Amino acid sequence: MHSRIEITNRREKKMYLIFGAAIILLWAVSTFITDFSVTELLVNSGGFWQFLAEDFLPPKLPKGNELINIAQSVATTIAMAVSATTVAGIFAFLVSLFGSEYISPFPAFAKAVRGLATFMRNIPALVWAFILFSSLGIGTGVGFSALLITSFAFMVRAFVETMDEVSKDCVESLLIVGATFPQRVINGILPSCINGFLSWFLYCFEVNIRASTIVGMVGGGGIGLVLFSYLKSFKYHTAFGIILIIAAIVIIVDLFTNKLRKEMYK
Amino acid sequence: MECLLKFKNVVKSYGSDSIALDNVSLEINEGEFVSVIGPSGSGKTTFLRSINKLIPVTKGEIYFNGENISDKKGKALRMCRRKIGMVFQNYNLVYRLSVIQNVLHGRLGYMSGLKGILGRYSEEDKKMAVDILGELGLQEYIYNRAADLSGGQKQRVGIARAIMQNPRLLLCDEPIASLDPSSAKVIMDRLYQMTKRRNIACIVNLHQVDVAKKYSTRIIGLSKGNIVFDGKPEELTDSMIEKIYGTSLDNLMLGGNEGA
Repeated sequence: MHSRIEITNRREKKMYLIFGAAIILLWAVSTFITDFSVTELLVNSGGFWQFLAEDFLPPKLPKGNELINIAQSVATTIAMAVSATTVAGIFAFLVSLFGSEYISPFPAFAKAVRGLATFMRNIPALVWAFILFSSLGIGTGVGFSALLITSFAFMVRAFVETMDEVSKDCVESLLIVGATFPQRVINGILPSCINGFLSWFLYCFEVNIRASTIVGMVGGGGIGLVLFSYLKSFKYHTAFGIILIIAAIVIIVDLFTNKLRKEMYK
Repeated sequence: MECLLKFKNVVKSYGSDSIALDNVSLEINEGEFVSVIGPSGSGKTTFLRSINKLIPVTKGEIYFNGENISDKKGKALRMCRRKIGMVFQNYNLVYRLSVIQNVLHGRLGYMSGLKGILGRYSEEDKKMAVDILGELGLQEYIYNRAADLSGGQKQRVGIARAIMQNPRLLLCDEPIASLDPSSAKVIMDRLYQMTKRRNIACIVNLHQVDVAKKYSTRIIGLSKGNIVFDGKPEELTDSMIEKIYGTSLDNLMLGGNEGA
């Protein structure tokens, strides 16, 4: 008799089985701990749908003074993202030069620079906003600073990776002709990495458009704060209108940056 | 002939048990064309890169032009480095820049910081770059992006950049290892002619023994960080080659014999 010929790797199969079992187990444990039940959600979801249908729909587009106010805060939010990303990008470029062992004139400190950036990045913008909010009070200054810190840290990491990937060889070739550190940066690193830098910069800008709304809600100013005030005063129809406006802006910005990125790599 | 480069008891070790250069001493004179051969891991690359301090040595001294380069730092090191050209296996160009911009990088060591940053090269430098590119047959590609060239052309740009430095010594780390046979011949011919015409001493790391024999005035054989052969190409016998590579000739791919 023929024995069956297995076509999958036994060990791999076993691994997937264990992995699957672990996920189910984790789900069961966390459901127990959080006391979350799907059935309850489904049974009680009537209230949720009712709330959504009656209170939120239809969205009401604000008019008159309200509209001007909202348009202004949308502009504030975009401006916050643009300025925070730009300032963060410039600082991140300067700092990232010291975060790469190949490039930094002080390679011994490269790890420390990267570590600090990682630490700053791992604290979410929202948390930074809360921290700054406590010390600076409500206002766009808080939103700007919170975005600045997180996008700075993010871009330092991203720029270092870009440079490590692209420029080891060309930095070496400029090193041996006797070029100074600024000369190496401008003549070697910048032309080799500029596309990578801009691509990460645009990504960061996208993220910041979204984040500036959330940061705004906790006191960072802009459209987030306006949305929050409408929600708190139960003007849900207008709030929904604002949510749609935010979604539209995010989509437009994404389309725009995607197009830019494509143009860049042509 | 004047001594240009001197190794005095140079040791380079990576960690505690891996020795790349084991007490190497030698002198290289002006105008010599030296090939360094040896199996992978014999210390060829370490030898070459220790000369311009891309790799700092563990012990011993390296004198270039009478100056001890191994204890130099900062500006003094840059002043030494600009007199030593280098050609890399991977060309090491800035691919987004034009050919002539890459060649002009060879002058950065001679320029003030700000002028170098702004790319304000003198007219003489630009003229020299154009002339060298013409000499290398690249006059039509001056404004092409370096990325758009073929491998052989990229390597010629690499040579042009090194010659722009007005070097006294040219280091070539496997310059033909990534090239097809015909581009490889062009590169070796140009290296030989250009360094001879300008009286530049040249040290070339090679895997091809026949190429080493054809072009060199002197061959150095490295094995496990030691110099096991140092002599004229005609003194490099078959048994010597076997000693350098630590295996019999039957196991070696030496290429054609036209150079021998």
